[in-house]
Amino acid sequence: MTIKPFKQGADFEHLRKVLMRETTKGPVPILELFVDVDVMAEITGMDIPIDKATEFIRNFGWSNDPEVVLAGSRIMDLSLAFSQAMGYDYVTLTLLMPLPRTQSQLRENPQQGGKIRAWQNEHRGIITTRKEFEEFPWPATEDIEIFPLDYAASKMPPGMKVVSFWTGIFEDLKLIMGIENMAIKSIKEPDLLNDILERLTILAEVGVGMAAAHPATGAVLYADDMGFNTGTMLSPKFMREYVIPRHKRIADACHRHGKPFIFHSCGHVDALMRDLIEVVGIDARHSFQDNIEPVEKVYRKYHDEISIVGGMDVDLLARGTPEQVRKRTRQILEACAPSGGYCMGTGNSVTNYCKIENYYAMLDETRKWNEEHV
Amino acid sequence: MDKNELLNKIRENVVTGMDDKIRDACRQGLDAGIPAEDILDKALLKGMNEVGDLFSKGEYFIPELLVAERAMKAGIAVLEPELVKKPSKSLGKIVIGTVAGDLHDIGKNLAAIMISAAGFEVVDLGTDVSAEKFVQAAKQNSARAVGLSALLTTTMINMAPIIKALRKAGFKGLIIIGGAPITQGYADNIGADFYASDAVDGARKLKLAVTRQ
Repeated sequence: MTIKPFKQGADFEHLRKVLMRETTKGPVPILELFVDVDVMAEITGMDIPIDKATEFIRNFGWSNDPEVVLAGSRIMDLSLAFSQAMGYDYVTLTLLMPLPRTQSQLRENPQQGGKIRAWQNEHRGIITTRKEFEEFPWPATEDIEIFPLDYAASKMPPGMKVVSFWTGIFEDLKLIMGIENMAIKSIKEPDLLNDILERLTILAEVGVGMAAAHPATGAVLYADDMGFNTGTMLSPKFMREYVIPRHKRIADACHRHGKPFIFHSCGHVDALMRDLIEVVGIDARHSFQDNIEPVEKVYRKYHDEISIVGGMDVDLLARGTPEQVRKRTRQILEACAPSGGYCMGTGNSVTNYCKIENYYAMLDETRKWNEEHV
Repeated sequence: MDKNELLNKIRENVVTGMDDKIRDACRQGLDAGIPAEDILDKALLKGMNEVGDLFSKGEYFIPELLVAERAMKAGIAVLEPELVKKPSKSLGKIVIGTVAGDLHDIGKNLAAIMISAAGFEVVDLGTDVSAEKFVQAAKQNSARAVGLSALLTTTMINMAPIIKALRKAGFKGLIIIGGAPITQGYADNIGADFYASDAVDGARKLKLAVTRQ
C-alpha cells in the first residue's frame, strides 16, 4: 500500500491558530498524542530495533542498557522523518528526566504477529511508605535534559515546531506508587500523595517552563490520565484539592511563554472539565472514546471555550474497515470542523495494533474534506 | 450496644473502609452471640453493596471500593473459623479472568470484589487466561456464569474464541464481558449475554440474571 502524505510541508502557525481558536478558516489540522515506534518505522522504512526503542519510551529514557539508550537516541530522527513523511505540522518530542518509575513489562502479542506492547505494573509501586518517599532518588531540576529540543531545532524543516510532551503529575504519581497502592493511600495517607505530587509539580513546572521557553517548541502536550470508563479514578473532590491547583501551576509555566497548553486525559473526566477550563486554563483537550463520550458531544459542550483534539476511536482503527473509518471521519468533521477549534486525530494514539490502512483512511478522508471545504 | 447496633457498626466500618476497627467490631458481634453468617450477610456484604451503590451514584470511587474490600476481608478473617462450620449460602460460582494476552487486572479484581459482595462465590483465574482454562474451570466449578475481562482492543478479540470454546464444551451458564473498549454491541456480536460498564454494573446484572433463571 502506498501511503500518501496528508499534505506537503509544515504549517505550525496554522495549527497554533486552530488550537487557540484564532481562526475558523483553513484546513483541519491533524494532531496525535504519539505514534508507536513500529508504526513510524513501517511508514518511513527506517530500521530501528523496535523492542529496545519501545523499552526506552515506556521507561521514559531510564535505562542502563546501552542498546536501549542507542535505540532511544534514534527515535528523534525517526519522529522527524515520520512527521515530514506524513505532512504533520509538528514533531512530538519529550524532555528527559531521570525519574525512577515502575518498570514496564514488554510482551509480544501473538494476535499481532508478535508485535510488542508494554504493560505497567498496576499493583506494586516504588514508593509505598513515608520512609521510601524520603529515600527516593528525586532528580534535581538541573537534571532535566533539553537536548531533544536543541536537536530538533537543528533538523526541523521550515514551518515545523515541536510539540513538547510532558508526563502529568497524576500519571507519574500512579507510575511511582502503583495504581492500587496510590488509590488506597489516597484515603489512608493523603499527606504522602500530597508530598509526592508537590515534588513532581516542582519538576513539571521547571520542565514545562524550559520546554515552552525553547524557540523550537510550538505547544506543550501535557498527558495526565485521570479517568476510566465511567468516572474519575479518584474523587473529583480529591483531584480539586490535590491535583487541579498543581495543574494550574504547570499550565501557567507554559503560558508564561505564550505557548498553547494541550491537555490529554483518557477516561470519563467530565466532572473535572470545568476545573480544567476555568482553573487550569487549558487551551485544548485531547482524547475521547466513543463508548465513553463521543468527540462530537464534547465538542458541542466545550468548543466555545477550548479547542478539541482527536476522537477517532482507536478500537475502530484497530478492528474496523477503511470504509467505516472514512464514514466516521466524515461524521466527526461535519460536527466539529465548520466552527473551527478542532484537530483530527485518534482518540488516544496511533498504536501498533491499529491497521495502517485505517490510519491512512482517517488522514485521507480529512485531506479530502479539506480539499472540498477550504 | 445491642445486636442491631453492633451489626450497624460493622456495616459502617465497611462503608468507611475501617479495616483496623472492623476486627474488634466483628469479635464483639460474635461475643454478643450474633451468628457469623448474620454478621457476614447483614453487615459485611450489606456494607459492601452499599459501597457499590455509592460508586454507581458517583459518590464513591476506586479507592473507596478498595479500602471497603480490605475492611470486608478483615472482618471475614475474624468470622472464618465460625463460617467454615456451616456451609455458606451462595448464589453459585462465577469463574472470572482476564483473557489470554492481557495482563491487566484492576478492573477484573474490582469485579471479583463486587460479585462476591453480591452473594456469589468467585473463582478468579487471574490474568492471561486461555480458553482451555476457562472451559476447565467452568466445568469443574459448575459455574453459573463466566466473566471475561480485557483492557485492550487487541486482547478483547480473544473473548470471541473463549466464548465459542465454552459453548462448544456445553457450558450453558451466563457469559458476561467487560473492560475499557467493550460495548453492548460487541457483547452481542460475539455471543456474550451481557456487557458490564464497570464492576458494580457487572455484579448487578449478574445477580439480576441469576435470580431470574
